[in-house]
Amino acid sequence: MSYLVLARKWRPQTFADLIGQEHVSQTLANAIRSGRVHHAFLFTGARGVGKTSAARIFAKALNCETGITAEPCNQCPSCLEIAEGNGTDVLEIDGASNTGVDDIRELRENIRYLPSKSRFKIFIIDEVHMLSVNAFNALLKTLEEPPAHAKFIFATTEPHKIPITILSRCQRFDFRKIGLVRVVERLRQIVDAEGIDISDAALTMVARRGEGSMRDSLSALDQVIAFCGDKVADDEVRGLLGFIDRRLLFETFDALIGRDCPGLVELVRKVDNLGYSCRQYCRDLAEFCRGLLLGLLLDAPDDALDVTAEELADLRELAGKTSLEDLQRMQGVLLKLEADVASASMQTLVLESGLLRLALLPPAEEVGSLLRRLTDLEKRLRSALLPAAGSGGAPPAGVAPPPASNQPSRREDPAAKKPEAPVAPSPGEGGWPGLVEHVKRRRPRLGAILEKASPLSLEPPKLEIGLPKNSFELTQLTDNDDRQAVNALATEFFGVETTLVVKGLEAEKAQAPPSLAEERSRKETDRKRRLREDAVNHPAVRSAREIFEAEVVEVRPIDKGFV
Amino acid sequence: MTFDQIIGHQQQKDIFRRAIGAGRLAHAYLFEGPEGIGKKLMATAVARALCCLEGTGCGSCAACRKIDHRNHPDLHMVEPEGAGIKIEQIRRLTRELAYRPVEGRKKICIIDRADSMNPAAGNALLKTLEEPPGDTILILLSSHPERLLQTIRSRCQRVPFHRLPREEVLTVLTERLGIEEPEARVLAALAEGSFARAAGSGREEFGSLRREVFAWFSAERLTDPGSRLRLAEELDRRKDDLPDIIDILQTLYRDALHLALGRGNQAVNVDATDFITRLAGGKTIHSLLGKIDSLEQVRRQLERNVNRQLAINVLLERLAA
Repeated sequence: MSYLVLARKWRPQTFADLIGQEHVSQTLANAIRSGRVHHAFLFTGARGVGKTSAARIFAKALNCETGITAEPCNQCPSCLEIAEGNGTDVLEIDGASNTGVDDIRELRENIRYLPSKSRFKIFIIDEVHMLSVNAFNALLKTLEEPPAHAKFIFATTEPHKIPITILSRCQRFDFRKIGLVRVVERLRQIVDAEGIDISDAALTMVARRGEGSMRDSLSALDQVIAFCGDKVADDEVRGLLGFIDRRLLFETFDALIGRDCPGLVELVRKVDNLGYSCRQYCRDLAEFCRGLLLGLLLDAPDDALDVTAEELADLRELAGKTSLEDLQRMQGVLLKLEADVASASMQTLVLESGLLRLALLPPAEEVGSLLRRLTDLEKRLRSALLPAAGSGGAPPAGVAPPPASNQPSRREDPAAKKPEAPVAPSPGEGGWPGLVEHVKRRRPRLGAILEKASPLSLEPPKLEIGLPKNSFELTQLTDNDDRQAVNALATEFFGVETTLVVKGLEAEKAQAPPSLAEERSRKETDRKRRLREDAVNHPAVRSAREIFEAEVVEVRPIDKGFV
Repeated sequence: MTFDQIIGHQQQKDIFRRAIGAGRLAHAYLFEGPEGIGKKLMATAVARALCCLEGTGCGSCAACRKIDHRNHPDLHMVEPEGAGIKIEQIRRLTRELAYRPVEGRKKICIIDRADSMNPAAGNALLKTLEEPPGDTILILLSSHPERLLQTIRSRCQRVPFHRLPREEVLTVLTERLGIEEPEARVLAALAEGSFARAAGSGREEFGSLRREVFAWFSAERLTDPGSRLRLAEELDRRKDDLPDIIDILQTLYRDALHLALGRGNQAVNVDATDFITRLAGGKTIHSLLGKIDSLEQVRRQLERNVNRQLAINVLLERLAA
């Protein structure tokens, strides 16, 4: 028999060999033991984690001549047949090649006949996600109620492509990616049996290349063995698997942080000359950047990072030359650069210009500190403007002195004033109308209420306003939330902690000053009267009246702003 | 082509010499590396070594000659038909691989540009790729392995191919193809380690295109808005040459960038130093980087069927800025 690659030679033959998928093998073994075996299974998971192997082991377990067992003997004709992939009653179908509805019809024809020698007729459909919609639908009835002698096992890497009606008829098992340690253990077992001399560090590298897939790891191991023979050196593994020398990465970051553009160009050239893939280089740079970040953030990143104490010290020293923000930004850019490089036609060029751009970026600053500086600036700007505008603006004249007795709502002591804030509102800021305008800009609804209110006393830290008794606005302002909002806005406006006191006014409100709304409507009527007088007294209008003996009924302004 | 006749790729040759010698040949390989650097040559050499009647890949026996002429019954070549490799091709292949080898000991299947397989074709190959019947070797060639299905990649032993160093390409160009030294130097630099590009059939046209680019993108023509517009029209008419033109421009601007960084001695366009000096003149590194980026951007846009004339206009404005 010709040479088999490791992944095929060491394909698991028992549930015990199927590492990392204990949750599946346990469930299946229990189902077999308790005699509650479902008729349709769906095995899903990433590539190379054991789906097809599990399907074959399960088929063996069901058809083993020693009886239905969780531990197939692997010696009886049935087990051997299945292991070789030519069992008469175990049909392994390539779902990606037999995608059509006709293939499924053939299967349905076939399923009616009893198994020729085994207990069950087992259909393993691999890559089942490639079946056409019609094929899936043709399978539905059979899958729901197959003959007692039939079992289905589907395996796929892409369960999302399978119709929900199929999913609901299957028992689904999700295969996990296999942990690094488990992969290394298994690899060690295999290399020992194969008589290959390889270090644990090299095996870890191989397993890492596998990214949680056993077959990927074994393919990488095959590649290493093919090149190195029976004695494998760590350095060769690193070169062979395309892992980039850490020193090169270190130098790159040194150049990036030191903004050494010519150095970077030289490094890219070196990477290219050494035959590394630009993409791998980018990916490793991002990974290295993660190391720098963790070195900066964590006290003991040994678990998260796979580095020696010496390397860690170097990492920290390098990270110390830059800031957290810069590193985070670098990592983001590097990750994006990897995608750009992958799709570029001149990869070195894209890599080079990306790195240069990164080196030329101005240092990053944390957004929080920028915001803080901005608010500081704003505050300083305001305190510089306000005293210059003058102080001591009097509240509007004619304000009735407030009765001192009924003010239970006053909460804050004026001692809590901000020292740098001006004491009184400046007339330059508009006093009451200014406040109303300010509130209106921020909270239009509250502004509209304040427009209806008469300012009774305007002496920050106290603000007293009056509203007609039983009016809608009064009930609104007795609401605590609203009043607090007005308080806050007034505080902001005057720069002093201000408390709002709302009083209900009697209907006549003789002594209360007019509210803004009232004033405006009065002005409006004034304007209308003046307009009418102007119009009536106009010589043209007067002569027209005389000629036609007419009477002026209404005067309408054409343009509101024009008098 | 025997292993010895292939230039460079020492590591890869060692892998196969050793594997064939020890009888540890895997059933599926994925050769990955840039276009035109000898992946197919290597695959053919492997096929010859396996089929050769002398057992060496001699190149003179009947089997070797059949391989060279692509008419050996045990050699199956799959190449893109039209846009890519279709599922019918894969199905045909799967059927053929089910038979025993006719003449030799093994059946060999070479899938060129494997990344052009559409998902259906790729999936149809999976089972065969994992456990091919009998003595079969599948060799997949790809310059964009990341475009392959993960499930395909995981089933193959990967053999990375790297670019040839500039000096090696130069040696071949001067010694084997008899190209004069100055021209060969430019070609070797432009090819970025790819033989197909350095010495391919389109070499002459590429040279004349380069001269045209120098004339088109001279500083005087770029600064005048009127001639920019006329140039855009001209370029629009040469749509088939556009990717090459962008390539040429990118190498020129990269040289300008290197010049601005004080590393002019690494220029690719060694014959156009004056032109590059003018390009770099008075430009900041930032602005040169921006121009390189906009070239890359236009390349991507052209692949996606944008309004060509508009894209060119924008590009020219950016280059002139």
